[in-house]
Amino acid sequence: MDDGGREVARARHCCNEIIITGAAMNSMTPKLVVEGLTHYYPDEYTGESVHALEDINLELYEGELVSVVGPSGCGKSTLLNILAGLLPYKIGTASVDGNVIHGPGPDRGVVFQEHAILPWRTVAKNIGHGLEIRRVPQAEREKRVQEFIDLVGLTGFEDKFPHELSGGMKQRCQVARTLCSDPVVMLMDEPFAAVDAQTRITLQEELNRIAMATHKTILFITHSVEEAAFLADRCLVFSARPGRLKEIVKIDIPREQRNWTNMNDNAIFISARDRILASVREEVSIAVEE
Amino acid sequence: MTTAVGNLSIAVQRRFGRQRLRKIILGSIPFAVMIAIWHANTVFDWLPPVFIPPIGDVWEAIFFLQEDCAGFVALVMLDNSCLITTHVFSSIGRVILAAIVGLPLGIAFGILCGMSRTLSKFLEPVGVFANSISGIAWIPLAIVWFGVGWVTTLFIMLNTIFWLMFFNSMLGVRSVAKVYEESVLTMGGSRWDVIKQVYLPGAMPSIITGMRMSMGFGWRALIAAEMIGGDSGLGFMIFTSAAEFKIEEVFLGVIFISIIFMATDKYLLAPLEKWTVERWGLVWRPT
Repeated sequence: MDDGGREVARARHCCNEIIITGAAMNSMTPKLVVEGLTHYYPDEYTGESVHALEDINLELYEGELVSVVGPSGCGKSTLLNILAGLLPYKIGTASVDGNVIHGPGPDRGVVFQEHAILPWRTVAKNIGHGLEIRRVPQAEREKRVQEFIDLVGLTGFEDKFPHELSGGMKQRCQVARTLCSDPVVMLMDEPFAAVDAQTRITLQEELNRIAMATHKTILFITHSVEEAAFLADRCLVFSARPGRLKEIVKIDIPREQRNWTNMNDNAIFISARDRILASVREEVSIAVEE
Repeated sequence: MTTAVGNLSIAVQRRFGRQRLRKIILGSIPFAVMIAIWHANTVFDWLPPVFIPPIGDVWEAIFFLQEDCAGFVALVMLDNSCLITTHVFSSIGRVILAAIVGLPLGIAFGILCGMSRTLSKFLEPVGVFANSISGIAWIPLAIVWFGVGWVTTLFIMLNTIFWLMFFNSMLGVRSVAKVYEESVLTMGGSRWDVIKQVYLPGAMPSIITGMRMSMGFGWRALIAAEMIGGDSGLGFMIFTSAAEFKIEEVFLGVIFISIIFMATDKYLLAPLEKWTVERWGLVWRPT
């Protein structure tokens, strides 16, 4: 970590080594493992086979926040959909806590980009939805729901319907809903892409605080390099299509120090951000040339 | 004097609310004009009472038809001596029966077809086929099959209600954003959870439109069916009274039909819409 705390590697040559280093640092077994995941899907209009992902290998350890960035169309959303169990895959394996993924399940919570909370449920009923599905008794459910309402700062909005909330509040509600089900891994698909810039900054700081408080294992997909560098312990850079794991950038900043007032002066953050940005831009230019 | 009128007007506005009062008054004007013209016809003798009866005669027809009614029990038992109430109740009864059977069936099949492309490919053509034949066109066939009576009228109504409800629910389900379904699945929800918690409420705007439409068209189909294939009900009453040149009874029947439908829409379907889709913010409504 002498080099500004970042760790840079060309994926095809030494990615595996980096993952091993990660494992050595963290002796626990990984929560999420992806091995040799390759994916093709038929194009919606032409029907041609699109090569979306190529030999993806990654491991997520408990309490770790890993972000995925890459040029658009690099398959990062495809990866998330496969991990969420919403997209069947054939080549390679993906498993959570040792269980191979075969479809959606409550061990993986997803925070979607769009406003995915149900408009016909109040904030409290939305947040408690996962527990309701699992038939958790009402008293316990209400207690847990209140805990997460307070955690994401929606106190006082329990009985509001989603259309009465701002965009940022809807996403807080979604984060709370996912957390309340207590998944092993939380998958976030560009969750702050649709909110305005001011709100986004606040939500990023909030998520950092929540990650600290709940110690959740999070895979965070984003197209914003700044966001990735601000939030992640490790940032995975994907290549242009077909998506390969091109580079892993480590960002070794304690969570307590991560807020937007400090970060802009933080040398580790700046170098990590610039490194990720350079790497992504390289891929974007390849994608454009094609 | 002016202050008294002013005070009264303010009191009335407070009681009902300005906007609501405006709505009621504006909505009543066409009816008031119609009634005025109707009354003017009697006063100035433009058309003879055989074509347009005096308002008083229509009002009196209620009591005339109800003349032989032997009290409350006979009224509830739909005794043939209580003519007007028996006709009204038998029409309403058929509507309720058709709604209880037809609406849930149409919603259920519509949701299933909205979910499954295969099933919708299987049922949609039949639906288009059935919808192309207007409800009344079935009447002759229904009379042959079921004879004159309530089965025929029920069949005609069900035919109308079911298919309208089917198409509306199906389109409603298809318009529900996929992400809602995905979010319930990723929380460990089953297919059944998705139906109950996503498709049904998500399709609610369409379902309620479907209910309003199918009740409107069903009610019209019922009147037509009763005229030709019924042995009681308002349609039957209108038809038989017209044959006997009792024009005031025809007018009475028509007025009853509209009042009953307006009441159903206002006190049943509109509140349902307010309680669901408006509360959930699924429709925008000018205030």
